[in-house]
Amino acid sequence: MAEQAYTVASDSETTGEEKSSTFPEIAIGVDIGTSQCSVAVWNGSQVELLKNTRNQKMMRSYVTFKEDTPSGGVSSQLFHEHDLLSGATIFNMKRLIGRVDTDPVIHASKNLPFLVQTLDIGVRPFIAALVNNMWRSTTPEEVLAIFLVELRAMAEAQLKRPIRNIVLTVPVSFSRFQLTRIERTCAMAGLHVLRLMPEPTAVALLYGQHQQQASHENTGSGCEKIALIFNMGAGYCDVAVTATAGGVSQIKALAGYTIGGEDLLQNMMCYLLPDSQSLFKNHGVKEIKSMGLLRVATQDAIHQLSSQTNVQVDVDLGDGLKICKVVDREEFEEVNKNLFEKCESLIIQCLQDAKVEVEDVNDVIIVGGCSFIPKVKNLVTNIFKGKEPYKGMNPLEAAVCGAAVEGAVASGINDPFGYLDLLTIQATPLAIGIRANGNNFIPLIPRNTTMPARKDVVFTTIHDNQTEALILVYEGEGKKVEENHMLGYFKITGIPRAPKGVPEINVCMDIDAANVLRVLAGVVMPGCRQPAIPVMEVRMPTVDDGHGWCAEALNRTYGASLNLVTLQKKA
Amino acid sequence: MNTLSLSSNLSISKPFHCLPFSNKQQRPSHMKFVIVSCRTIKVKSNDTNLYNILSLSPKSATMDDIKKSYRSMALQHHPDVCHDPSMKEECTRMFVKVNAAYETLSNPMLREEYDCELGLRRRMISNVGVSEDEKWRRRWQQQVGGLKMRSRTRMGQKGGSWGNRMRTQNMKN
Repeated sequence: MAEQAYTVASDSETTGEEKSSTFPEIAIGVDIGTSQCSVAVWNGSQVELLKNTRNQKMMRSYVTFKEDTPSGGVSSQLFHEHDLLSGATIFNMKRLIGRVDTDPVIHASKNLPFLVQTLDIGVRPFIAALVNNMWRSTTPEEVLAIFLVELRAMAEAQLKRPIRNIVLTVPVSFSRFQLTRIERTCAMAGLHVLRLMPEPTAVALLYGQHQQQASHENTGSGCEKIALIFNMGAGYCDVAVTATAGGVSQIKALAGYTIGGEDLLQNMMCYLLPDSQSLFKNHGVKEIKSMGLLRVATQDAIHQLSSQTNVQVDVDLGDGLKICKVVDREEFEEVNKNLFEKCESLIIQCLQDAKVEVEDVNDVIIVGGCSFIPKVKNLVTNIFKGKEPYKGMNPLEAAVCGAAVEGAVASGINDPFGYLDLLTIQATPLAIGIRANGNNFIPLIPRNTTMPARKDVVFTTIHDNQTEALILVYEGEGKKVEENHMLGYFKITGIPRAPKGVPEINVCMDIDAANVLRVLAGVVMPGCRQPAIPVMEVRMPTVDDGHGWCAEALNRTYGASLNLVTLQKKA
Repeated sequence: MNTLSLSSNLSISKPFHCLPFSNKQQRPSHMKFVIVSCRTIKVKSNDTNLYNILSLSPKSATMDDIKKSYRSMALQHHPDVCHDPSMKEECTRMFVKVNAAYETLSNPMLREEYDCELGLRRRMISNVGVSEDEKWRRRWQQQVGGLKMRSRTRMGQKGGSWGNRMRTQNMKN
């Protein structure tokens, strides 16, 4: 094959610029789940899921390191579940990617049957696979890239053409930093990301297509339908409210959080073996085996509890450690009470953000692996007063099908029946703003703002004759900057000397349709028509791992000397 | 695009102090927005009238019409449906404008305010008017972006009036 498996691309090459060029080929849709993944493509008349050589549509997301050649869940033969848990296999990449070692999600991942080591200082965690009794270090990006290379080879073999462009679904709660990590990972695998779609918006697009096909009405018209999409997989829970008519899906609100089947599983493991954390701390070969056994047994139990009310857990963890217990569904629900409550609050928050009442919702769509859990289904239908969930969507395939449709739409493919006359009007899942007024986070683009978007706010200096100002860009929902994720920073220099509060420092944020964020800053002095200094334009995010350190170091070095406040205009 | 457009914005965005307010428009809350930049711009009022942006009739447009029109405009102007790279920029600009119009008109309260401020509730605007009143009105039309700001403020976002004014200006250029 002409294309190398690994291509090195610079930051600027991985996003943005290329997106504007024309693509003759149809981009494929890829859904990399925490636990399973799938690939789909628009075949000219409908969405088709691609199967691997073992005839599987859903493939496990993992990579096993053996000798020199790692192999992933797409191609490798699955022997027995336990072989996956011998220490040589890395999985849950989607939970690990783009997180620092102070992140609670990373800490919760320490009882996975491979090495996740933290120094708790805000750098990337150390991740390693056990190969021939040696810890071989790797990164979530590397593991994901290896996996994507396999996926790509599989798709190329089936579609008999080179694959370059993909539409990838991502969790709503991913920070922009995590999104760039995903884009870089795809670039490592020789793939170009045409679009990163929050998972429920891919489902919304598919729903829009269903409505369009059902109504046969002209584009742009038709009766508006409001749908709530609840997507809970192994790693993340996402909610979206969409208003759909005439093939146009308008995302009214998004909400997401890092909770999923993995958390249910970990809670259950703790419940079955209360001191599991300390037992497995050393990550010896034996402990990893026990950890793996416990994981498999617990997972099986949870699956069975979806169809039966109690289950017998019988597992020998070795070293005289045995678990023999009957677990009933109520126990499972009680153990995970907090998680289910969080799911409910996400739905309610999403409805409020969308300014939609429960009664206004025409369809409730429940998708993702966790949708098979009775409690999950119940909690959603309870909010909607017993309304039957939308049928006609495969809960495991909806997101990837939506991504494939978007792939066709974004590639400029036309459908004679108008099935691709679709559009998703996206919204920002997290607020973006800068640090000002002390340590406060001042959002310029609030969450759930329609994209593309452009907003600006004017700030001013806090000291007399302040000639420089620091622009610290954050993303998140916290009122204080420390609660949010730093995306980048830059300094404005050459502000004309003036009393404090006089220079007008305009900060503008621009998100284009490809979701590229640019921050612009300019200075104007009252009474002047021309900007005092050239406008600065910075593409975000600019910070790498250890953004927490950056903020601390900046604070230590500059204190409040380069701070800004929002400008209060005199009436 | 951004560098250029922002710098051009900056050059024209100086506050214009206290426009004369017609007594008919007795809405004290306007005062917040009086300092919207106000250079005479060679734009027809058609381009800044939110109804015109969505091709709607100000008098008869129902909520359904507004939504329908927004969707069909989105299908025409959203950058995702534009496959000519050289047009992306223009599409983005247009869609932001369409979206701004939709946000005001789809909110009954904001729409009523907007109608009043346009003078629609009294009489239709004539483009040939020469009286002070008309001049003011036309100038006001160019400032309608400022109104969007109020909707933002209402929705709980603090600060940013200048921002929206900037955007309004930006859209006009």
